Amino acid sequence: MSDAAALPSLKSDQLFINLGPQHPSTHGVLRLGLTLEGELIVKAVPDIGYLHRGTEKLAEVRGYHHCVVLTDRWDYVSAMPNNLVFCLAAEKLMGVKAPARADALRVMTCELNRCASHLLFFGTYGIDVGAFTPFLYAFREREMILDLFEMLCGARLTYNYIRLGGVGMDVSADWLTRAKEFLEYFKPRLDEYDTLLTYNPIFMARTRGVGLVSAAEAVNWGLSGPNLRGSGVNYDVRKHDPYSGYESYDFEVPLGQEGSCWDRYVCRVREMRQSIRIIEQALARLPEGPILAPGVAKVPKPAAGEVYAHVEGSRGDLGIYLVSDGGISPYRMHVRAPSFVNLAMLEEKLAGMKVADVIAVLGSIDIVLGEVDR
Amino acid sequence: MTQDELFAKIQGQFPQVQKAQIQVKDYLTVRLSSKDDLLPLSSWLKENSFDYLDMLTGTDYLGPTDMKGYISQPNFNPFLPEGATPQIEPSAAAGFPYRPVLDLLWSFVSLKEKQRVIVKLELQRDSPSVPSLTGLFKAADWQERETYDLLGVRYEGHPNLTKILTPEFTSGHPLRKDYAHVKDRFDE
Repeated sequence: MSDAAALPSLKSDQLFINLGPQHPSTHGVLRLGLTLEGELIVKAVPDIGYLHRGTEKLAEVRGYHHCVVLTDRWDYVSAMPNNLVFCLAAEKLMGVKAPARADALRVMTCELNRCASHLLFFGTYGIDVGAFTPFLYAFREREMILDLFEMLCGARLTYNYIRLGGVGMDVSADWLTRAKEFLEYFKPRLDEYDTLLTYNPIFMARTRGVGLVSAAEAVNWGLSGPNLRGSGVNYDVRKHDPYSGYESYDFEVPLGQEGSCWDRYVCRVREMRQSIRIIEQALARLPEGPILAPGVAKVPKPAAGEVYAHVEGSRGDLGIYLVSDGGISPYRMHVRAPSFVNLAMLEEKLAGMKVADVIAVLGSIDIVLGEVDR
Repeated sequence: MTQDELFAKIQGQFPQVQKAQIQVKDYLTVRLSSKDDLLPLSSWLKENSFDYLDMLTGTDYLGPTDMKGYISQPNFNPFLPEGATPQIEPSAAAGFPYRPVLDLLWSFVSLKEKQRVIVKLELQRDSPSVPSLTGLFKAADWQERETYDLLGVRYEGHPNLTKILTPEFTSGHPLRKDYAHVKDRFDE
């Protein structure tokens, strides 16, 4: 007994490790410089910019129609809202309004894309915390959504489907049948996910009470999307500042309670059910008519002015600030990228956590590095 | 609360704050006369339910970007023979007030009132500096670093004003209109 007390105390040093940029759990090229003391994180420094392509600058030397192609490359797992937000901003500048059929198609594709994006999150988040099976289930369904998109516009990830003044292609009767079939197939799957992962005791133990973000903190950090709603703050652009006719759809905004990783996860899973409701309503009401508004020039030259448009993207409040000087390209385009703003809280949140929780917290923020870096 | 009521409320507190000449469509846009008003106005907005700093950015109004260096083939028509005079070249739009200023923008949102107010401030292009909002809104942290990196605005009082998006070895601020790329080891 007394011998142990006489031993010299163990020497402990701080250890610096790099997580990423090429690490599967960082969901892209995010580098985290972690300073550890044993298993505790003393300091975490996120390093971004590996995927910076300067799309804001590129937009200044391209025509408005070309810019839609650039937008696909931000959040490449949910590109429809990106297309939409740029088109909404440019349409505001030009004073054009999309026809009713185009609006319904926009809503439908954006909500399908939200499901695809949340499915990817559901699958990869399971892997992040050690459950491999949900990934295979999620990708089975996601594949069907991507097939639908491929049938619609020929692309699986970068769609360029939503165009200035409407949408690029009309849907066929065959597509509508397949979309309805998919929804019928998808609805019972959501209950499966709950039994598979949501209420799995191991998963809950791993994510509940981890990475807590209070409502006041979430607002102060400027979080948006499921990250903000996971903390119980009811802010959804579709309800607060409706666009494309969202005010006429009947849906709810799922909210979390304590702002833990599990709450953010649950918000996303519940959102898929609301997305299905919206798609069903859009399918039921899909009006006949043109899909493109008349009066959008091949080389648009909107009058000088400034606009801001924002949509509820899959990751949060996605906004575009557009300045026109009357020329053929946007004079200035700024993207309010939800992933970028959401990620900023990581530095403060990670300090004081255990290493094992890093991936659980990072995964629950659900970032796409293409959008963080732009 | 309508835009006019909101503006009247702001002007009741800060009579020097004016409505911007060019409004951001659909949202109330106000212009500050000096950067000393920024911090009092933001903290007043924060106390009056505008506690969500949505976005901050800026615009360089020097003149349109020179296409050279960004587009290898400036002809928008791919069927034109090589060397033909470009059909369309963006040039300075007639009548647009280009001037050597940086126009900064902050966008505050009230989640309760479903309102947005956009605050603008013009600064001279050479060595622009403005107080940082990081003390009030943590959301300002990375977005100010981004604006510093891409536009070269110094935010006084920011705890860690360093580059965030562009690599360490590059110089200059890419979103400035006179930015020229300096060849580095990654160019061929």
